Amino acid sequence: MRVILMLIKKEFLQVFRSPLLLSILIVAPMVQFILFPFTADYEIKVLDIAFIDNDNSTLSHNLINEFSASKHFRSKGIIDSKSYADKLMKADKIDFLVEIPLDFEKHLICQDGTTIAITANAINTVKAGIGCGYVQTVIGDYLKEISENTGLTTLSNTAQLFTTNIYWYNEQMNYRNLIVPGILVILVTLIGAYVTALNLVREKEIGTIEQINVTPIKKWQFLLGKMIPFWILGMAEFILGLILMKIIFGINVQGSIPALLCITAIYLLVMLGLGFFISAVSENQLQAMFIVFFLFIVFVLLSGLFTPTEGMPEWAEKINYLNPMSFYMEVIKKMVLKGCQWADLKYQTIVLSVMAVILNSAAMLSYKDSSK
Amino acid sequence: MQSIVAKDLTKQFGDFTAVNHINFSVEKGEIFGFLGANGAGKTTAIKMMSGLLLPTSGDAIVGGYSIRTDSKQIKRHIGYMSQRFSLYNDLTIFENMQLFGTVYGIPAKELKDRIHQSLSKLKMDDQANSLVASIPLGWKQKLAFATAILHRPEIVFLDEPTSGVDPIVRREFWKLIYQAAASGITIFVTTHYMDEAEYCHRISIMAEGSLKLIGTPSELKQQMGVDTIDDVFVKFVKR
Repeated sequence: MRVILMLIKKEFLQVFRSPLLLSILIVAPMVQFILFPFTADYEIKVLDIAFIDNDNSTLSHNLINEFSASKHFRSKGIIDSKSYADKLMKADKIDFLVEIPLDFEKHLICQDGTTIAITANAINTVKAGIGCGYVQTVIGDYLKEISENTGLTTLSNTAQLFTTNIYWYNEQMNYRNLIVPGILVILVTLIGAYVTALNLVREKEIGTIEQINVTPIKKWQFLLGKMIPFWILGMAEFILGLILMKIIFGINVQGSIPALLCITAIYLLVMLGLGFFISAVSENQLQAMFIVFFLFIVFVLLSGLFTPTEGMPEWAEKINYLNPMSFYMEVIKKMVLKGCQWADLKYQTIVLSVMAVILNSAAMLSYKDSSK
Repeated sequence: MQSIVAKDLTKQFGDFTAVNHINFSVEKGEIFGFLGANGAGKTTAIKMMSGLLLPTSGDAIVGGYSIRTDSKQIKRHIGYMSQRFSLYNDLTIFENMQLFGTVYGIPAKELKDRIHQSLSKLKMDDQANSLVASIPLGWKQKLAFATAILHRPEIVFLDEPTSGVDPIVRREFWKLIYQAAASGITIFVTTHYMDEAEYCHRISIMAEGSLKLIGTPSELKQQMGVDTIDDVFVKFVKR
């Protein structure tokens, strides 16, 4: 016990004497919280739009004015030819082209149907998809307005089926509400896997581990002496993250905070185990860094932070059963946004616990205090 | 009484035989010099005897314990100072000694006394709280030695303890070695400085994994018909 306490003390002394590590621990979450949510935002503020008006009627002019009035669009004016529109789109000058057909007004009045062509620059598929939705909304609103003003009832019936959406758990469909808890996950993962893996490999590199290995310190004592300090640091980092989340974004944890802390503690053990395992099989910090980085990217992409896991092919979903981050991401989202309690997250808790046991055992077995 | 007895100690890495059936014994309190060219297998032999590496065949009894079956026990009874400086640079002198002393189970109060004693012997009392990174190499080596014998081991293995150290500090270092030997600690030391070899009670010379010569410095000089150990070594290596 005295030995472990001494090792913990040693680790903390080293952390607090390393200004770089300390500033990473404190500055990293702040920068991530301040920068990330604003860059990773699916809401598109301004789309550049141009029009070809083959009808040149009052109703077509009004439609174009509707677009100009919308806060989502910036009108690049009416252009004459399709080829010029192509050129503009190639030069990234416009994102959308709306082409109003000949006799648009006449067909509307006669109510015999007409087609408006919307062309989107789909280099960025997300932008194109969301933008198309905006365009359709503007046109739909416009048709509704005409039908109300003119009494052409069938117009609104045939042209539009009005829908009302209510988004549960994230009423404003605010992307930040998804990404900010995701950043918490990333923070905990980085502290857990990255910092510990590098720390242990560094001792290998500078040779201090050899000095430790000739002493009677037992393997489990040494690993616990590493684990406990980084576990404490990870939890402190997580709590700092929760506080920043509340202060900067006003996001409160909806679920049970004790349960959230408990599951986070388990997840940290998973990541610590992973970090130790990687450091046991790596020769130097560079190798360890590459391995952690590679796994980290895979974990994040599969975790459902950027794209919903439900949209992934079946094999990817199967791989996700091995991805601790996807389980924890689910926990965080459900806890923070949905207000789940212990009972709702039993499955994830059990899976993470099993992973923690497996990875830490693997680390214990692969860490060598004498070689063959 | 014998502190170390090596019996056909052998280590192979794949096809390469680093240490090839070496046999020798070291008496308690003896300063035993272990010489040899670079790559002769000295470090491998030391690592086996200190429980860092398992032998491929053969055995060695260190402090009464077999390195094959009792490496855990051996670790309690030896000190080890590696070729590379391996105290923590970002801890103070006191913290380093406290860490390693605690690991060997020295009670807290006694540990404190021992640290102060050994620091005053090194004339480093006033530096107890400076970071190890900030002291010069020669002092670091003396400190590493003091730390390696803080728990009063039966045997201490020193792997090129004075490489890169200036002649004055080297002389001081050997004074420390003599003091330790006088208190009953067996010293097993490798070196490339032949003047240091003269200070040893007995020396052995290794080449290509085998132990070629063993004896007191004067015996070896007589045997080879030369005046210094330096000449013994050169003559031997050229042969």
